[in-house]
Amino acid sequence: MSPIDRRLLIHMNWFLLGLAALLFFLGVMNLYSASGFRMEDGMSVNSFYQKQLIWGLMGFGGMLTFMLFDYRHLKTIAWPLFWVTVLLLLAVPFAGKTIYGARRWIDLGFFNFQPSELAKITILVIGARILSRDFEPLGFMKLGYVFVVGLLPAGMIILQPDLGSGLNVLLILGGMILYRGLTSKVFKTMAVAIPCLIPLGWLFMHDYQKRRVISFMNPASDPLGAGYHIIQSEIAIGSGRLWGKGFLGGTQSQLRFLPEKHTDFAIAVFGEEWGFVGAMSLLSIFCVFLYQMVVTARDAKDLFGSYLAAGVFFYFFWQILINMGMVLGLMPVVGIPLPFISYGGSATVVNFCLIGLVLNVSMRRYVFKQG
Amino acid sequence: MSSLYEAKSQQPPKTGLLLLQGLILLLFCVFALRFWFLQIHKGAYFAEQAKNNQLRQDRLYAPRGLIRDRTGKLLSLNEPAYALGLVREDCKDLEATLKTVSEWTGEDLSKLKETFKKSRKRVKPFEPLILAPNLTFKQVAMIEANALHWPGLEVVVRPRRQYLQGPLLSHVLGYVAESGEDELEADEDLAVGDFVGKQGLESVLEKRFRGVKGRRQLEVDATGRRLKERILSPPVAGEDIDLSIDLGLQELGGKLLKGKAGAVVVMNPDNGQILAFVSSPSYDNNSFTSGLSQKEWAELRDDPMHPLQNRVIQSVYPPGSVFKIAVAACGLHYNMINPKDTVYCPGYVKLGKYTFRCWRRGGHGDVNLEDALVQSCDVYFYKLGMKLGVDRISDFAKKAGFGELTGISLPHEKPGLIPTRAWKRKRFGEIWHPGENLNLAIGQGYTLTSPLQVARFLSSIINGGRLLRPQLLAGEPAEEQGRIPMTEEQLKIIRKAMIETVDGPRGTARRLRMKGVVVGGKTGTAQVVKLTDELKKMKDEDIPYKYRDHAWMASFAERDDQRYVIICMIEHGLHGGSGAGPVVKALYKYLYAEQPKDEGVGN
Repeated sequence: MSPIDRRLLIHMNWFLLGLAALLFFLGVMNLYSASGFRMEDGMSVNSFYQKQLIWGLMGFGGMLTFMLFDYRHLKTIAWPLFWVTVLLLLAVPFAGKTIYGARRWIDLGFFNFQPSELAKITILVIGARILSRDFEPLGFMKLGYVFVVGLLPAGMIILQPDLGSGLNVLLILGGMILYRGLTSKVFKTMAVAIPCLIPLGWLFMHDYQKRRVISFMNPASDPLGAGYHIIQSEIAIGSGRLWGKGFLGGTQSQLRFLPEKHTDFAIAVFGEEWGFVGAMSLLSIFCVFLYQMVVTARDAKDLFGSYLAAGVFFYFFWQILINMGMVLGLMPVVGIPLPFISYGGSATVVNFCLIGLVLNVSMRRYVFKQG
Repeated sequence: MSSLYEAKSQQPPKTGLLLLQGLILLLFCVFALRFWFLQIHKGAYFAEQAKNNQLRQDRLYAPRGLIRDRTGKLLSLNEPAYALGLVREDCKDLEATLKTVSEWTGEDLSKLKETFKKSRKRVKPFEPLILAPNLTFKQVAMIEANALHWPGLEVVVRPRRQYLQGPLLSHVLGYVAESGEDELEADEDLAVGDFVGKQGLESVLEKRFRGVKGRRQLEVDATGRRLKERILSPPVAGEDIDLSIDLGLQELGGKLLKGKAGAVVVMNPDNGQILAFVSSPSYDNNSFTSGLSQKEWAELRDDPMHPLQNRVIQSVYPPGSVFKIAVAACGLHYNMINPKDTVYCPGYVKLGKYTFRCWRRGGHGDVNLEDALVQSCDVYFYKLGMKLGVDRISDFAKKAGFGELTGISLPHEKPGLIPTRAWKRKRFGEIWHPGENLNLAIGQGYTLTSPLQVARFLSSIINGGRLLRPQLLAGEPAEEQGRIPMTEEQLKIIRKAMIETVDGPRGTARRLRMKGVVVGGKTGTAQVVKLTDELKKMKDEDIPYKYRDHAWMASFAERDDQRYVIICMIEHGLHGGSGAGPVVKALYKYLYAEQPKDEGVGN
């Protein structure tokens, strides 16, 4: 592996890096506000924002690591990486730690490692490898093959049970397939089949998940259960109005009417304190941020890199879509964080690593070398 | 350089790129619109909601199911009790608030802090955390008067268990007390400060008694003041439960055992229902509900009369002569006795260098089985014991329910003990000596039984051999656990001997005689220690209490279709007949008295 030369630094997408840093900064600030109340508690000081800063530093290190090597090496290790991930997922039921009734974590001593987070990286590497092998639109056979590869880790994650992450893995792969393109025959078939499969998914859902869907359809049916979250987050966001209540000024979130405000519902705090103007700004930043990945996918030197960038695009796209959709009351409540804004160790590190991967692709777009 | 074809193949998919850009546009449009709708279009509405009306959830406590006796008389109900709750989110200065609570309640500040710390994670946002579970009226008044200054504090009203008869039924009902760490861990429905059944039926039937908490929606303003409330789901009261206990009979039993240590069980031999269940002395189960102090607890625990001990099922005693019924039955079962055959009792039996004495020094002369039971002749049973041996006796005793749990739905029952060769080898590393068969046959030695086991056994003698599970709930169907291996003919012989024990001129249970009622009985005097010669010479009243013999009376009675089995056991009561007999007699008198018509319950 050659050392980083200057051309690489010049060609790197600095704009994307800046946007990621900006988002992370906004996230920490928001977290400071959201956990402010706890700071006064005197008895249980939970300095979420401090921890988040440390995660960010670790993420930055991860990002550098993901930039250093030539991303095309990932092609060679794609399959070993895949099987290691599957093995780790297999180990979870035995070696895993149970938190909130679900076994998802492996205790590495200094922190709890979530194999499902690794699976999200793995799926876009293996997806990029398989999908970039040729360029014909996908027929049934190939599509089936790709999905079997995706279903193995996804199924194991769903069984943990972590429906959110499992679907996330499938959605990332699904997005990459759409990016690649399908034959019209496959496309038409799927357009008919998928809506039919949705009721089947209902059978596999846990009771609490069903409750969430029902309460989404009708929040008033369970105003203190799952519907409570939606109602409260709508009040918080809506009451922010045009200019917001100002930093640290959110009464709804400050008074702790808002549940899980530092994790999945972080955007509600933001919306309350910064109003429509702030929300639009954040939304715009996210869109430009996503667009930088499209640019990277477009300009990549090879298809593998292009698919990697597209994979990362979908990784972030689905999270933003689902999290915002949920907090804004457009979707049922599922536990998916908002990238960089929500508190979370593993997620923050993975987010930065994936940015590193996109930067890796973008800065090597002019390097002519056979991989 | 790559070929033209390869170059083409390396082009990213055009439509794919368009798709990604389209998705970004879609994302922006949908969410921008939604933000606009929430924040601009409905912004004023939500701002108003945020300012004025904040929704909270609150729980409504479900009353515990009531307990009644078989005639419908209330044994326990729920009264309102007041607890001090802290809503963390409304509380501005925690330290100062806790200090105030400490002043009001007299509770140690560091202890309050610990309660807060422990409970914090178990309390949902805006739910009151119970700091003091039992407030006096004076404290309630003070807190209500000062509530304005301490916005986080509130008085929480919850139903509290009250036991109307206090100590009388403590050993059956048990008690409730604040749930401990383990219970909270194991049971999701429990919150800090909730009461749960800890003993007796309260603990066994916890799930049925408990009910389901309700939920209430509260609208409060920004300072936490309540504006409106709406019941989302009303609390569901726990199940009411009728016991098989007859309160009047129980009261009488309690009165008769007052000042004594002992137990009384009244059982219906046909269905296993327990009509009276007295363990004396007892304790007041109400004291646990209102929180027992360390000192009160220590006093109860260290009381030499052991009021916490459930003497019906937890205390096991040597059965003494009562056990002769079982040994006689065993002899009949193995065809080792012809009821007509007589044994000569000279007042003792010699075995090797040991002499085993009959309780009657002068001997009983020639006795057959019936005579032996009626007069409780030891020699007859020594000889029978030698013939049967430990293996047969212990095997039969187990089939008769001795040494085994009765399965009554109360916790901490003790099985007692029926010795076997294997048991002795394991316990003492010794072989079974022939002389021990003699002791075993008269209910002395290692044998230990609980009064309830004796009641179950005797019921089976009355009901045709069915070993029934003792039932404490009214209407519970009879549950057969096994059968003693005897024919109706053999059972009849035992019953006749027991009736003769009451009716016969030489019977030891003559006190039980009643007009118009067939009564059978068997006395028992169980040695606590081997009396020294010195003690033997003393008059009964002079023997120190702890050396006095235990007194047993096992009995049954029948008139028309009304059948009962009553077992009475008095610790250190000296003689079965004189110590336990009067208690049993008084209970039968109650049971067979002409009862007022409106109280007739059919059985």
